[in-house]
Amino acid sequence: MITTSIKRRTLLGAGLAGASMLAMPSVLRAQDKSLKVGVYGGYFKTSFDKNIFPEFTKATGIAVESIAEPTGEAWLVQLEQAARAGQAPADVSMMSQVAMLKGQSTDLWTPIDMAKIKNSSNLLDRFVNKYPDGRIAGIGAVSWYITLVTNTDVYKEAPTSWSAFWDPANADKLGLLALVSNSFLLEVTAKTFLGGTNALDTEEGLLKAFEKLAEVKPNVRLWYRDEAQFEQSLKSGEIPMGQYYHDVTGLAAADGNPVRSTFPKEGGIQDSGCWALSRASQKSEEAHIFIDYMCQPSIQATLSRKVGTSPTVKREVTDLTDKEFAAVSSDIEPIVPRYDLYQSKSDWLNQKWTELIVG
Amino acid sequence: MRREPPQTLGDYAPLLFPAAMLTIFFVVPFGTMIAVSFFQRQQGGFYTPAFVFDNYARFLSAFFGGVLGFSLLLAITVAICCVVLALPFTYMLTRMARKVQVVWLVALLSILSLSEVIIGFAWSTLFSRTAGITNILVALGIMSEAKALTPSFGAVLTGMVYQAFPYTVLVLFPALVRLDPTLTEAARTLGASPLKAFFTVVVPALRNTITATLIMVFIFALGSYLLPQLLGRPQHWTLSVLITDQAIYQSNMPFAAAMAVFLVLVTLGLVALTVIAGRKGEAA
Amino acid sequence: MSGLALQNVVKEFGSFRAVNNVDLNVPHGTFVCMLGPSGCGKTTLLRMIAGLDLPTGGAIRLDGDDITHVPTHKRNLGMVFQSLALFPHLTVGENIAYPLRIRGAAKEDQKKRVDELLSMIHLTGYADRPVAKLSGGQRQRVAIARALAISPKLFLLDEPLSALDAKLREAMQVELRQLQQKLGITTIVVTHDQREAMTMADTVVVMNGGEIRQAASPIEIYRRPADSFVADFIGQTNLLEVQADSTGRVEVLGQPIAGLALPAGASKGTLSVRPEDVHLTAPGAGALTGKVTFVRDLGGTIETFVDIAGRQIVAVSTPRARPDVTVGQEVGIALTPDVCVVLKK
Repeated sequence: MITTSIKRRTLLGAGLAGASMLAMPSVLRAQDKSLKVGVYGGYFKTSFDKNIFPEFTKATGIAVESIAEPTGEAWLVQLEQAARAGQAPADVSMMSQVAMLKGQSTDLWTPIDMAKIKNSSNLLDRFVNKYPDGRIAGIGAVSWYITLVTNTDVYKEAPTSWSAFWDPANADKLGLLALVSNSFLLEVTAKTFLGGTNALDTEEGLLKAFEKLAEVKPNVRLWYRDEAQFEQSLKSGEIPMGQYYHDVTGLAAADGNPVRSTFPKEGGIQDSGCWALSRASQKSEEAHIFIDYMCQPSIQATLSRKVGTSPTVKREVTDLTDKEFAAVSSDIEPIVPRYDLYQSKSDWLNQKWTELIVG
Repeated sequence: MRREPPQTLGDYAPLLFPAAMLTIFFVVPFGTMIAVSFFQRQQGGFYTPAFVFDNYARFLSAFFGGVLGFSLLLAITVAICCVVLALPFTYMLTRMARKVQVVWLVALLSILSLSEVIIGFAWSTLFSRTAGITNILVALGIMSEAKALTPSFGAVLTGMVYQAFPYTVLVLFPALVRLDPTLTEAARTLGASPLKAFFTVVVPALRNTITATLIMVFIFALGSYLLPQLLGRPQHWTLSVLITDQAIYQSNMPFAAAMAVFLVLVTLGLVALTVIAGRKGEAA
Repeated sequence: MSGLALQNVVKEFGSFRAVNNVDLNVPHGTFVCMLGPSGCGKTTLLRMIAGLDLPTGGAIRLDGDDITHVPTHKRNLGMVFQSLALFPHLTVGENIAYPLRIRGAAKEDQKKRVDELLSMIHLTGYADRPVAKLSGGQRQRVAIARALAISPKLFLLDEPLSALDAKLREAMQVELRQLQQKLGITTIVVTHDQREAMTMADTVVVMNGGEIRQAASPIEIYRRPADSFVADFIGQTNLLEVQADSTGRVEVLGQPIAGLALPAGASKGTLSVRPEDVHLTAPGAGALTGKVTFVRDLGGTIETFVDIAGRQIVAVSTPRARPDVTVGQEVGIALTPDVCVVLKK
């Protein structure tokens, strides 16, 4: 969800977050053509303003006004309401997968003309967001992994499977994300024990997943909303195992902290955001140019190197070295969250989840 | 000077400012919240104006009843702990030299300037296995092995009492300063040890102040939502945590509003009960 | 020895000596008034007797036992504070019963004793009233009754009547003295009101600068003041410088007075003459001669101000012995040795 990314990125962006939240327009160089782009506030906006947008303007002559998106689903609500009035606070916006689905229900997104996205052939299939009738609602913008992380002082051997969470030997040692919609632990449970996330199609399957997940509770020391708390505890070994962001863990390890991120054999959790075009936007042409530009393997590689995101394009078309690729991604097939569930069953899931961990 | 009842509309003018403040900062937001609590939730982040009881119906369950009960119990425990600790402390403080008082009060005020997040992180470090106070006990040979004291109910309670303690002292301080010091001296000459004098004279003479302080700390503690998350297990999460979850993470404003309204009503009810009980006690 | 004894008691607050080497014996059943200007150390002395302040030096004995370091609540005393310190959360009856309750007395015994005390202070039937509803005089009596509830060995009062108006104060003085005589309890009252002291006390202790200047019966203090401070503080007096010449003859304002002698070896001194002892005579007939500067006729007494060589002397007479003088007139003043007190220097 949006919240997840923003919290995390805000944290990384530290002091800059506050300033960028004010939605200040960025450098406007070319006068004739321009595009308003909504980006998660904080770290993402800062990184894009620095590493991506100036190059884009140089290459295409289209000026970019970047807009910091607020937390929660407020941005979706704003886009929706503005579109009804024929306004577009941003032409292209970076949207969470759940927000994409919600926008689809009101036809908020202008279908993307794939003929104009020459680089679309590079894309991994899962990064093409489609309406139920097959129209293209959005194109993958950024993605990142949540993986199994451990403290290397406490765990000499890296665990190989998510099932480590269920190991009675790890009692009171785990730090897990506190919300059903940002931890994706139901998907992890389904993939690890129930044969795949399709098991969550039915309510019966969901209940089975909850039941299995309940067995993890005695092992959990911390259900965290605040990432800093878990990261600190992981580094110190206070809470030596858990789920966390792959790239941030990698950076911490590079700084000499005794931590490691492991892609379990069931795969890491891959969350992502899409570029989507508001139906009220008059800049369809520029928007397509922008999205196409962002789909270039070289740009995706730049994002991996500078921002720490996992590429949305196939690995072989990028020039990333093995080491660079491993820092942000893995060849193991990822666990892709069942975003549809968080749209159709969000209150039910939330209630069950809260009862599970609080009860 | 005689006090005349207000004659013209103009005589009510001095009331306008506080009335406006009350309206802007209390009546309007609370009214909005009540209104939203009856709105229809659209799954997926939106809501539409309506008049439905679904949000309240969802709340009326054993699960939320349990969370509400725990929140109230926690807040009451925090209030009692704070007053039990702060009353003797403040009493002794008022009997110290002016200079010492100033130092203490400045120290307490500086705790007030700490945010809930800082307090939470400080205590979770102090209570941790790797860097916490148990390491000192191990070094002193009192404990054999360092262990984590958080997350636990004790940790939540400690953090919240620590946070509310300065408020408690600052509320009690003026009343204790005004308390005639010869009252305790009189009690001593009449045969009461200093401890007995404190309990038979100071505490009963300050009964109203103590009740008011208990209520204030109780309400203060009821709003706490960060410390239970930072220092407690999920079963120690208060209703405020769940309200935050609904409002911020689930975008379920109607349900969050319904829970908040319910919390406010229960709180007001408890405060009213306390006040009525206090009146009765006084009359008896 | 039965009674209270203060031995060399010293109290210092930092470098300030509030009470300086006080020695005092208060025999059992005596009513003592400690009298002095504010800051003279009398209240500090009382608080040390009560145990509310600890002496820096010396000892306090009660019936022969050293109680210097016995905590207040174990001294079994009764004390009335200037503020009265009635407990606002308790009724009249509960206030009076407090010392009994603290000592674990049975409920019936408490009630019996409270009724006794209420009748003693003429407030029968007031037991259930809140103290806030009482008048000043009634509160005063309740404070006294509470202090006497356990029949203490020692009854201490700190400026107990200062909050009352003049008339009520005078009545309470008499009442307090009569009560004390009836109970035969050793009582110490701190006051700055000399009238109060003279009314009630067996012994008046005059203090100044942390020291006892004189401790004696009221009449002794009045008639034979030990020094000029006492003479001046207690009642009105005329203080006159005196000198002895080489033959031992004593002169006042340059005029010899027959039969007056200074202590052996002293050549200078101060003479105290109470105004009522100053008799006006015809000019030249008395020992001194002066001029009338003012006559104050108060009805009950008449004060005549006489100027002698720049010094003012006051004479007080009753209307019956009203002197026939007017302002500006020359008068004589008779001074006989029996009315003159030569003060220690």
